[in-house]
Amino acid sequence: MYLYSLLVVALIIAAIFLTPVKRKVWVATAFIGMAAIGAIALSVMAFCNGKVELTEFATSLFGVERLSVDILSSLFLCIIAIASIATVLYSRGYVANYLKRFSPAHISMHYTALVALVISMMFVVMSSGGFSFLFAWELMTISSFILILFEADRQEVRRAALNYLVMMHIGFMFLVAGFVLLANHTGSANFEALTIYFKECNPLPIFIIFFIGFGMKSGVFPMHIWLPEAHPAAPSHVSAIMSGVMIKTGIYGILRLMQAIDHDINLLYNIGLIILLSGIVTGLWGIILASMQNDIKRLLAYSSIENIGVILIGLGIAAVGHAAGSNLIGMCGMCGALLHTLNHSLFKTMLFFGAGNIYSKLHTTSMNQMGGLAKYMPLTAIMMMIATVAICALPPLNGFVSELLIYIGMFNGVSDGHELLYSVGGIIALSLIGGMVVLAFTKLYGIVFLGSPRTTHVAESEEVDGLRIAAMAIPATFMLLIGLFPQFIIEPISTVAGGVTGGDKSITIEHFTPTLQAVSIAGWTLIILIALLYTLKYRAQRRRKIEVGPTWGCGFTATNTRMQYTGESYAEGVESILAKAMTKEHVDGRTIDKSEIFPTKHSYNIRHKDKVDSLLGRWWVRLMHRINEYVMRLRTGRVNNYITFALVFLVAVLLLTLFNLM
Amino acid sequence: MLVQLCNTLLMVVVALSITGVINRTRALLAGRKGIRFAQHIYNVRLLMRKGAVYSSTTSILFRIAPCIYLGATLMAFLFIPVADLWPLFSFHGDIVLVAYLLALSRMALILAALDTGSSFEGMGASREALYGALVEPALMMGLATLALFCGYSSFADIFADAQQLDMNLTVIMLLVAYVFVVILFIEAGRVPVDDPKTHLELTMIHEVMCLDYSGIDMAMIQIAGWLKNAIFAMIAANAIAVAFCFHWWFATPLAIIATGVAVGVVESLRARNKLSRNVTYILTIVALSALVLLIGFLLTQNIEI
Repeated sequence: MYLYSLLVVALIIAAIFLTPVKRKVWVATAFIGMAAIGAIALSVMAFCNGKVELTEFATSLFGVERLSVDILSSLFLCIIAIASIATVLYSRGYVANYLKRFSPAHISMHYTALVALVISMMFVVMSSGGFSFLFAWELMTISSFILILFEADRQEVRRAALNYLVMMHIGFMFLVAGFVLLANHTGSANFEALTIYFKECNPLPIFIIFFIGFGMKSGVFPMHIWLPEAHPAAPSHVSAIMSGVMIKTGIYGILRLMQAIDHDINLLYNIGLIILLSGIVTGLWGIILASMQNDIKRLLAYSSIENIGVILIGLGIAAVGHAAGSNLIGMCGMCGALLHTLNHSLFKTMLFFGAGNIYSKLHTTSMNQMGGLAKYMPLTAIMMMIATVAICALPPLNGFVSELLIYIGMFNGVSDGHELLYSVGGIIALSLIGGMVVLAFTKLYGIVFLGSPRTTHVAESEEVDGLRIAAMAIPATFMLLIGLFPQFIIEPISTVAGGVTGGDKSITIEHFTPTLQAVSIAGWTLIILIALLYTLKYRAQRRRKIEVGPTWGCGFTATNTRMQYTGESYAEGVESILAKAMTKEHVDGRTIDKSEIFPTKHSYNIRHKDKVDSLLGRWWVRLMHRINEYVMRLRTGRVNNYITFALVFLVAVLLLTLFNLM
Repeated sequence: MLVQLCNTLLMVVVALSITGVINRTRALLAGRKGIRFAQHIYNVRLLMRKGAVYSSTTSILFRIAPCIYLGATLMAFLFIPVADLWPLFSFHGDIVLVAYLLALSRMALILAALDTGSSFEGMGASREALYGALVEPALMMGLATLALFCGYSSFADIFADAQQLDMNLTVIMLLVAYVFVVILFIEAGRVPVDDPKTHLELTMIHEVMCLDYSGIDMAMIQIAGWLKNAIFAMIAANAIAVAFCFHWWFATPLAIIATGVAVGVVESLRARNKLSRNVTYILTIVALSALVLLIGFLLTQNIEI
């Protein structure tokens, strides 16, 4: 069996490395396509039968632990499959720009890592826990590390990748600690064993250890600081799959933890509280910082953090609701959170693809050097518009459906008087997040695609190839389907939700089918209304005099494009309130001084850096430096010293064994 | 069906007459004779017949945006009941949909403003986005208070059955009505947040975003503005109607007169806030609505205070 799996691995690597450089993408597509088809088939099977065991298919490296697909895994398998197919299709056009710059081996390495990332994510959600889970988890980290390092000749890329690797391993250590504790007590490191552990031992410490481990991957506050560094550094399709799917494996882990809590009301309540609070903080922190960013990909990274916050709010409401004995609230929160996980994977991949389209034409991700791109890249602009409306959770698209479910859960909490304070906290946070998302994404869309070009490069850019647009259309199709026909998604989602917390799925189906039918009708009515109004206006205007002139400049005729609002000025309002509390300003260059009579050329660049980053960064780096200083003293460069160290070590081991200390 | 059409008709009446009442109140307080009651409708009719000038900077989005603005507001408008009448659309959880439809309309106008590339409109867009974001929690908490007392999460259900007259409920509902009227000030860009009557470039938030619109587009934006006013005025009036067991024949004039007079009086007696104070003003309303919700919660728990 090992031989068989090694053979498959060797085959994948050989196939990618041996094909000509232009075809490598198709080999990767073939492998990822096969994996995705397999994953979808498995998830359909699991969905019909409840659970699929893969004993004969893949014996694990770790003996007793087996691969199995249950209903929760099947949802995540679908998410991974859709996003990874879109990603690999998109990567063709994006990587094509780099074929001359990098050696074929470099490109092969990239595609091998991409295939490895997809397969390892699938193994993460299929393994039943324990050390095979950790193995897949680590493989996922390493392959994404290689993927981030695509443009390894840039220093900031190397720095961000290293930062990512270190952060992920801190998280990994927590997971190892958690599983070791688990195995130590119950004799098995499976997720099922957690149920026993939760019953027999003090459950909160191990929950927090796991929560930190999984939260590191998802970017839960304050462990989110790797996201805004890694995403601008990584190629766009890698950011897309990492932000859209990979960080969701952390959510998957948290869901497994929640699944293991079996009818322990007290524990469920405490855990729900922790999750809800961290969700509120993560969501607000993410979106407020997102609105202050002037780099497209950094803004999107912070928005991912915010969406993780929204998902956690849903999960928290679910746990608190179940603990309070309200099946409906619990199921609302859970369904909303699960659907938002799916939705976010769709629109965030799309947004990162859009950012990639822009980057591959303009070679920058700084929003203040763009503007008016809608005229030069119309298809990208339309796709990004769809994704923007969806991520702002506005009707009639999918983001709205999932937030509606969470809201309904919380409003039910309010109107039934169950756990009112938490519901109200959730409502306040979610509505503030909703408002701020509109601010952040109108900023992104308005500054990048609308107005007039801020640099001459913009006017030279053109639309990207059709395959990349098609890759963006894959998630767009699903988004439109979920947004316009939400009544059909509720049954599968509530089946999955029922599988996690053991709620009764009939209650949500019964409760939500009319609601979501109404949402669907409202969505269609809205579209028809808008179309009708536009047609009426168009017909009326045919007979009128329509002129085209310059933008009204209030008496100034020679307005120039640099007088437009920039990303910085657009967010000035938010910054004036919150920038000091949440960020640290980094200024490059200087402004023109008043005393300069003949101003020379200046450059001025502000970046609002996350305060958490600088708080964590400072003592951490200083500590490492200090430790390194001591360790470096041992490195003398003389062979006799090193031999002495080895001798000391051996003697120490001998002594320890002699006195039975080891 | 008849009831629903009647409801929509009443809402249209409210939407059309609030601006007239505001103008009349302002004129009375200033000692002027004032313009005709229906002058704003004539103005819009005039705009409808005009041609248009579009900026060469703009894309197609600029031309669709007024349709989205009006369409989304109209959609939200159709969910609002007049006291105990049944609206055209209603479902469990529609309060969230209404809030998000209003957000959609806001987003359309913000993007249109950014599309012109004008710094004036960018300024307006930036402020509208910020104030819209800050006022959202107040709106949601106002709705949550309604949901808490009436036990439902759709407008129609909340207002459908008038409750027993109860002192606590009355006070809370009056406060909720106050919150919604202030939200109207903010959403419609009225004094003290913004002054729509100043010369356009000096109007800092809402009107400045529509500088480049003319003709039918401007008419659509104005109509959407009326509808938005009607939505908030009606919710406020409904809250009062719930408190005093009023029915629709009472709620309709209440919405028109109370809101119209409130806006008119505030506009005549107050100066516009300094812009930097607006955030504080909005956050005060958020805090107030949080307080109302908290008091409401304490009252439902039957805790003596």
